[in-house]
Amino acid sequence: MDIRESELPGIGCKFEIITKENEKFVIVIHDDGRRELYQFDEDHEETISNITFTDSEARKIGAILGGMTYEPKALEKIEMAFDGMIIEWFKVENEAPIIKQTIGQLSIRNSYNVTIIAVLKKNLKKLFTPGPESVIDTGDTLVISGERQEVKKFINELLVRKGGS
Amino acid sequence: MTNHLILEVGTALVLIAIAAVLAGKFKFSIIPFLIILGMVVGPHAPVIGIIDLTFIESKEFIDFLGRIGVLFLLFYLGLEFSVKKLQRSGKNIVVGGSIYIFINFTLGLLYGLINGFPLQETLIIAGIITFSSSAIVAKVLVDLKRTGNKETELILGIIMFEDIVLAVYLSIVSGLVLGSATSLMSTIFSIVISLGYILLFFVIARVGTKFLNKILNIASSEIFIIVIFAALFFIAGLSETIHVAEAIGALLLGLVFSETEHSDRIEHLVVPFRDFFGAIFFFSFGLSIEPATLGGAVWLTLGAVAITIIGNFVAGLIAGRKADLSYKASSNIGLTIVSRGEFSIILANLAVMGNLMPVIKPFSALYVLILAILGPLLTKESKIIYTGLDKIFKWSEKDKKKKMMKQSFVQKEQNQTQSS
Repeated sequence: MDIRESELPGIGCKFEIITKENEKFVIVIHDDGRRELYQFDEDHEETISNITFTDSEARKIGAILGGMTYEPKALEKIEMAFDGMIIEWFKVENEAPIIKQTIGQLSIRNSYNVTIIAVLKKNLKKLFTPGPESVIDTGDTLVISGERQEVKKFINELLVRKGGS
Repeated sequence: MTNHLILEVGTALVLIAIAAVLAGKFKFSIIPFLIILGMVVGPHAPVIGIIDLTFIESKEFIDFLGRIGVLFLLFYLGLEFSVKKLQRSGKNIVVGGSIYIFINFTLGLLYGLINGFPLQETLIIAGIITFSSSAIVAKVLVDLKRTGNKETELILGIIMFEDIVLAVYLSIVSGLVLGSATSLMSTIFSIVISLGYILLFFVIARVGTKFLNKILNIASSEIFIIVIFAALFFIAGLSETIHVAEAIGALLLGLVFSETEHSDRIEHLVVPFRDFFGAIFFFSFGLSIEPATLGGAVWLTLGAVAITIIGNFVAGLIAGRKADLSYKASSNIGLTIVSRGEFSIILANLAVMGNLMPVIKPFSALYVLILAILGPLLTKESKIIYTGLDKIFKWSEKDKKKKMMKQSFVQKEQNQTQSS
C-alpha cells in the first residue's frame, strides 16, 4: 500500500492511497472536521464516487475499519492462541501491600502464577525481567503477564491500596 | 435623523442577509450579489414609508463599517501569510505560481498601457487582473467535490503563492498611489518609505516574536480580543499618517502576528468579523457605484475578462504540465483560478482613495461581477471545455501515448528483474 500525504492550504489535509490491488482512493480531512472519501477510476484520473462524513461518523467508521468492534473471521485463530493471556500495565498505588517488598519475598510466580516482565521505576528507569531481589516502591509501574484471572487477582491483592478506599 | 441611523443600517443588513441567503441557495459567492445589491439601491432608489433605500443619511456610516471590513480582510490575509508555508510547499508550487504571476501580470500591464492608462492606473488594473479570489476558489473546489483531485494541491498552492505576492504588491502600490508623489524623485521616495515601513514590520516579526508571544499569552478571551483589536485599529490608523494605507497597516500587523504562536487563535477570532464587515464592504462598494457609469466601462471590462481567461488558462496549463499532470488536470487549473473577487475590489478601492481615474471603479465592479459568476461556471463545466479543446489540440492522444510509454517502461523493467 502506498500512502502520500499533502497539505491543502485553506482546506485541510489530503491522503492519497493506492492499495495492493492498484485501486486509488483519496481521503480529505477538512479543517472543520469533515472527511471526504474519493474513489478513482482505474487510470487514477477521474473520481467515480465520493462520500462525506462528519467528524464523529468518521471516528466510528475508523473504529469499524480498524476491527475494534468486529474482528474478521480470518483473525480468530491468532486470538485463540492468546486466549486469556494478557499483559497489563499497572501503577502501584500508595500504601499497597507490595510496597518495600522484593519480588522474591512474595514468591509472586509461585503463589499467583504471573510474571513481572518489567518495572518502570518512578525516576523513569526501566528494569527488564527484574530478579527476585528487586524492591517495589510506590509509583512504580509494573508490566505483568499471565492469565487474565490471575493477573486480576494479583493486582487486587497486592498493588491496590487496602482499607479506606 | 440620527434616530433612524440604526434602522437604516438594519435595513441594509436585512438586504445583505437576503442577498447572502440567495447566493447560498444558488451556490455562488456572495461578493457579486452584494455588489449588485449595492448598485440597485442608493440615491436613485425609492423611499418606502420609513424604509429609506437611498441610504443617503447612513452612507457615511456604512462606508465606515466597510472600511473596517477592509481592515479585517487584509489583517486576515497577513495572518495567513507564512514564509514557512511557502518553503514547505515545494518546487511545483513556486514554479507554477511564478509562471502564473508572470504571464498574467505582464498581460495586465500591457492591457493597461495599450489602453492608454498612466502608470498608477496601469499598476492597479494589472493587479485587478492578476490576483484570483482565494475565497471563491476554495469554496468552488469544496462545493464541486474536487478536493481529492490531483490538480487541487497545485491550485491551492498557486493561490497561496498569489496571496503572498499580493501582500507585497499591495504594500508597494499603496505607497505609490497614496503618496503625494508628483515627480520621479518623490515617487521613489514614497516607495522607499513604504518598503522601509514593511521592512520594519518584518524585523519586528523576526526579533519580537518571543516578546509578542509573552504579551499575547492571555487566557481570558475577552481581554485577548480587546488587545488584538486595539493593536489592529491603532497600527492601521498610525500607518495612515505616514501615507501607508490603513489597510496595509492591518496587513503588516497580520504578518507580525502570523509569526507568533497565537496566530491560530487570532485567526479564529477574526474570521467572523472579517465575514461580517467584509460583506458590508462589498455592499458599500456597490453603493458607491452609479449604475449609469457602468456603460462606459463595458468594452474595457470585456477585453480584460477575455485576457484574464486566456492568460489563466495558458498559465494553468503550463504550470500543470511542468508539475507532470495530465492535460485534462492542467486545464482544470486555469479554469478554477480564473475567479476574481475580494482582492480586485480592494485594489480598486485603493485607486478610489488615491483619486485615480474614476473609470477604474465601474471597471472593477463589472469585471468582478463577471468573473465571480463566470469563474465558478467555467470550473464546473471544465469537462466540456476540455473535450471541446481536445478536439482541436489532440491532448488526450498525447496523454495516452505518454501513459503507454510509461506502461511499456514498467513492463520492460519487470521483464528485466524477472530475467536477472
